[in-house]
Amino acid sequence: MLQFIFKRLIVIIPMALVVVTVTWGLIRTAPGNFYSTEKKLPPAIEKNIKEKYGLDKPWYVQYGKLMGNIIRLDFGDSLKYEGQSVNEIIWRHLPYSATIGFLAYLVALLIGLTAGIIAALRQNSAFDYSSMALSMLGLSVPNFVLGPILVLIFALWLFWLPPARWGGVSSVVMPVITLAAVYAAYIARLTRAGMLEVLRSDYIRTARAKGLDEKTVLLKHALRGGIIPVVSFTGPALASLLAGTVVVERVFAIPGLGNIFIQSVLNRDEPLILGIVAFLSILVMIFNLIVDISYGYLDPRIRYE
Amino acid sequence: MTRIFAGRTRLGVAIVSLCLLAAGCSTTATTKYWGQVEAPDDNVLRYITGSEPESLDPSFVTGQPEARILIGLFDRLVEYHPKTMQPIPSMATHWEVSDDGIDYTFHLRKNGKYSNGDPITAKDFEWSFKRALSPELASRYAFIGFEIKYAEQYNAKQSFAKKDGKFLNADENGEPLDSCDVDGPACLTLAADEESLAKIKKDNAELATRIEGAEFVEIKPDDIGVNATDDYTLEVTLKQPAPYFVGMLTHQFFAAVHRPTIEKHGKNWIKPENIVTSGAFKVEEWKPYDEMTIVRDPNYWDAKNVKLDAVKFYPMDEQTTMMNIYKAGRVDALYNHTVPAAWNEFIRQFKDEYLLHPEVTIEYYTFSVKKKPFDNLDVRKAFSLAVNRESLEVLRKTVKKSADFVPLGIFPEYEKARTKVFAELSEKDGITPEQMQKRLFDPTAACAHMKKAGYSVQMTGSDKCKVTDFPLDGVELSYNTAESNKQVAEFVQSQWQQNLGLTIPLKNMEFKTYLPYRSAIEYKGVARAGWVGDFMDPYTFLSQFYTEANDSSTGWWDPVYDKMLDDANKTLDPEKRYEKLAEAEYYVLKDQPVMPLSVAGTSWMKKPYVKGMYPNPGTMHPWKFVYIEKDRAKWDQNVDKIMTEQSDPAIDAEVAALMKSQLDFERANASKSEEGGEDEETDKTE
Amino acid sequence: MAEKTDIVKGTSLWKDAWRRLLKNKLATFGMCVMALMTLLVVFGPMVLSWMFGITPSAVPEDAALLKSLPPSGTNIMGTDELGRDLFARVLQGGRISLMVGVISTIVSLVVGVSYGAISGYLGGRIDNVMMRIVDIFYAIPYILIVIVLLEVFKGENTPSIITSLSEAFGGSGPLNQIFLLFFALGLVSWLTMARVVRGQVLSLKNQEFVLAAKATGVSTLGIIFKHIVPNTLGPVIVYATLTIPSVMLTEAFLSYLGMGVQAPYASWGSLAADGIKNIAIFPWQLIFPGVTMALTLFSLNFMGDGLRDALDPQTRKF
Repeated sequence: MLQFIFKRLIVIIPMALVVVTVTWGLIRTAPGNFYSTEKKLPPAIEKNIKEKYGLDKPWYVQYGKLMGNIIRLDFGDSLKYEGQSVNEIIWRHLPYSATIGFLAYLVALLIGLTAGIIAALRQNSAFDYSSMALSMLGLSVPNFVLGPILVLIFALWLFWLPPARWGGVSSVVMPVITLAAVYAAYIARLTRAGMLEVLRSDYIRTARAKGLDEKTVLLKHALRGGIIPVVSFTGPALASLLAGTVVVERVFAIPGLGNIFIQSVLNRDEPLILGIVAFLSILVMIFNLIVDISYGYLDPRIRYE
Repeated sequence: MTRIFAGRTRLGVAIVSLCLLAAGCSTTATTKYWGQVEAPDDNVLRYITGSEPESLDPSFVTGQPEARILIGLFDRLVEYHPKTMQPIPSMATHWEVSDDGIDYTFHLRKNGKYSNGDPITAKDFEWSFKRALSPELASRYAFIGFEIKYAEQYNAKQSFAKKDGKFLNADENGEPLDSCDVDGPACLTLAADEESLAKIKKDNAELATRIEGAEFVEIKPDDIGVNATDDYTLEVTLKQPAPYFVGMLTHQFFAAVHRPTIEKHGKNWIKPENIVTSGAFKVEEWKPYDEMTIVRDPNYWDAKNVKLDAVKFYPMDEQTTMMNIYKAGRVDALYNHTVPAAWNEFIRQFKDEYLLHPEVTIEYYTFSVKKKPFDNLDVRKAFSLAVNRESLEVLRKTVKKSADFVPLGIFPEYEKARTKVFAELSEKDGITPEQMQKRLFDPTAACAHMKKAGYSVQMTGSDKCKVTDFPLDGVELSYNTAESNKQVAEFVQSQWQQNLGLTIPLKNMEFKTYLPYRSAIEYKGVARAGWVGDFMDPYTFLSQFYTEANDSSTGWWDPVYDKMLDDANKTLDPEKRYEKLAEAEYYVLKDQPVMPLSVAGTSWMKKPYVKGMYPNPGTMHPWKFVYIEKDRAKWDQNVDKIMTEQSDPAIDAEVAALMKSQLDFERANASKSEEGGEDEETDKTE
Repeated sequence: MAEKTDIVKGTSLWKDAWRRLLKNKLATFGMCVMALMTLLVVFGPMVLSWMFGITPSAVPEDAALLKSLPPSGTNIMGTDELGRDLFARVLQGGRISLMVGVISTIVSLVVGVSYGAISGYLGGRIDNVMMRIVDIFYAIPYILIVIVLLEVFKGENTPSIITSLSEAFGGSGPLNQIFLLFFALGLVSWLTMARVVRGQVLSLKNQEFVLAAKATGVSTLGIIFKHIVPNTLGPVIVYATLTIPSVMLTEAFLSYLGMGVQAPYASWGSLAADGIKNIAIFPWQLIFPGVTMALTLFSLNFMGDGLRDALDPQTRKF
């Protein structure tokens, strides 16, 4: 097991470099550049800019320099935000998105797992239908609709919560609910499906036949197998949540990483894009590794050779 | 206090909003204000200025959100007039212009101080200007300083050519020069790197022979036309007359920055812990994407007139969020275009809060004039005439229709001259005044133009037609993504459909993809453009078509037009200059490389207790005039008239006091010249 | 012998499933709504323009009508800011949204299921490499992929399959972008599907029925697609029904950034995004597209659930 983890950790570094390389290629293929504005620049000014940022060198020199820096975990300075280093930007904004993302996932897990399990146990009951219908509502109302509606009700009618901006517990409530809604719905549905699958499997029948009490069967055996789809989903979901979600950050004007990332793509801010992508890819891979490890614990039939 | 016990009003507002929602909100408002209105206890203005600022380096940034912050942080020679945005004295108490319009002398006040207490002198301005123009800084806005002699060449790292100990003259027939002093005739300048020299050898034999054997002297900062003659006098020499030059100096590009700080910290000088500023406010805290706080600087020369203790800027991207946060009473004012056009009918009931005034912008569509089918003037005319701008005005609500390129309602003197000139010139061309008026929409004429262009035209109504053989392949209307651009494009598309029977496909693109696409004139047929004036003069618009490398993105260029603009700028009498500019505008519009559509309105809101903040044409607020009025009786009312009757006498008096030094100086000069010589007199009678 | 039973079972599987599906009231309801919605979306715009002359992108000529009008006899869902009939726009938007959802989901099903199943079943080094490739795809920002795809395949470079698809759909140039988008969205949405399927396969591949199949000499591909994949259908169907809404919303977000559907066309997502801005003033602009979209997704999911229950091979054991 340890060897398996070690192997996977080692592999993360070259993979992150591949991701960065592909992304770099995409940025260079994409039209537009960080300095283009509504006003066409005189060629001399464009030349100055290229010299200043080393864009006048051949691509392999630029790429080599980039890789050299990345290996030392230095992504350089943002092109858009003069004088701010990429590392500084990431670490400054990560806590905002991480707080909201983590809280949202906790809420989503709590609601989703409970609803999913109960719905599976009482398949075709009223609870099953109503909780699945509710989860459908969560899925079919986009967050760019849900967020503003919550704001309208709680911030502009009732004046209970601030309509936007970071600051204090009250400002977190609506963003977390908006984010959690979709994930709770996903989790509920995945849990229900996974549990139904497991409840009918042989080993649960065996467990029941052995005369184990229902509680043990459910919690010790069924749940472990039943939440595998949820676990698969959790890796990427958590990574993307921690890195922020654009819409919620924009609607609630939260200084999180998601909006900054989208902006950096739209601004063609190469170092910042690469920095966030590298960071995210490492995050995704670590989460996926954790997911793979937990498969082994959840379902003894899964083996890693 | 007031904020904590505002519960009852909140409930009231909540019920009102509920009713409004239920009633579809088309009825009249039952409250006077929109949302929460309570004057804050502290003396702090909370403002939304748009996206996150790129930097705090005034010479480097380009955007309006940054500009609005930097007005408070860095002082310039001249400040924006809070209402008109014309230059008023700030660090310069007064200035004079030489008779040929080329030499400017600025006299600085002696009590200017940086936020660390260092004095601000003319030498600081000299250094700041030269730094701003330096190729090493690589500022995207450097072109705004290119009116200064040799500035463009310095920025482009060009050189003088020296042969036999003397500099070559820019004029090929001119005598070689002993020096390239700014006051002397212009020296020849050229890019002297190997690549450019090889290019000259290949393409320009005449020049190549002239420079053969010459040694190249790189242009240094000391060569450009900025010179502090003493601590309080700054001389600026331009390459050619530019009557709008002082107006340009309001721009943050020309702000005084602190040399020791920049030399010590390099690119990190803008960090809050390092930064030294020169304006009415200084940086207190900067939390990117969250908020920036600037506080009153006691060292500022006019600190006694600065009324706010602090301004808080909230960066934000979503229009709806801005409106929500304003409604909830958590910000005091918004920036321009924050109120969605569709809300206009509803929001304009709040007469004490909603500001809609003309903006120094023009929205227009460009034609690709070098490619078929828009290489044909009649086709361009037809497409322009087939759009009902009156309906556009009804649809967009916050814009004013326009068939001219220099926006209406901003330059009254110019408009007067333009009306006169356009009437004269059109008469000469045999165009009736009615036809001039109908440039805004004339479907019959549009059809006639299409016929004249050689297309088969079937009349489908009294004034509508269907063009059957127009090549629709390869014609698109491109625009960059924005709610308003989309709506205008959809509208214009339908107009062409209804009046010419042509369905031109739309193509929207993400901004950074769109920019190179448009400026390289890769677009097919028609593209959307908008221009916000850089300074308060019609020239900022007309220069869009100036020189072959112009920024019009149409491919249109005409040396006659360039000469008309040059002539105009050499004219010192403002009225005559405007007439010449108007002639140039007529000239370019006659060829219709673009079709102007509308002039935007500023469309923003402020709480009535925010005073001294005016809806000026560029939404640039000199923060030192702004204050918070706690006394309800003195709150702003009916802000439609805020520029005139509802104005604030205290602020008007303050502005007048600031302007006095320059007016006195001009008056003294005028009387002196009346006694002394008759130069000016003869100029006027010419 | 084994083959024979397979055939018998095979025929009864679908019959059985159909019977079960019809028994499920919610699923039947979902199917009816979806059928109705598809009919409406396919034929509605034609009928509307033929009977009443209302088309989704017709802007009224009368300047007084260039504004948001509440629902009335002529415009049963009201109009948008340009005075266009919202009902016609919702129907036309449905075409695009359903296409986005269906095409991308099919791509994600085909690619994701086979990829995940092969990876999970083969295991070992192959699994490792295949999953690392998925990880890499995950980490590359899809917005960048979309920007580049749209740039590379714009104008004359558009693959002929896409132009012919969009021509078949009645539009020329401007529709190309949305079809490119389907392609791009499909490209990113199969990743999670692959992971979900792989997770399932890992837990199934050591079960008795697989070992039995192996022992009787069924080929590897046969095992994967005949024996293992059918057993993963439950979560796959649920996940596929989850993909549809998420793809539709991604499309709305991309439209908002200028990379999605081209004006004057709209999608449900873009209509809802436009509507939410005016919620306090012109609520109908959100309510109608929003409710239509929600209703469709609801039905789709009830249908998906019903299908899952009906198809579940293990239920038959009871």
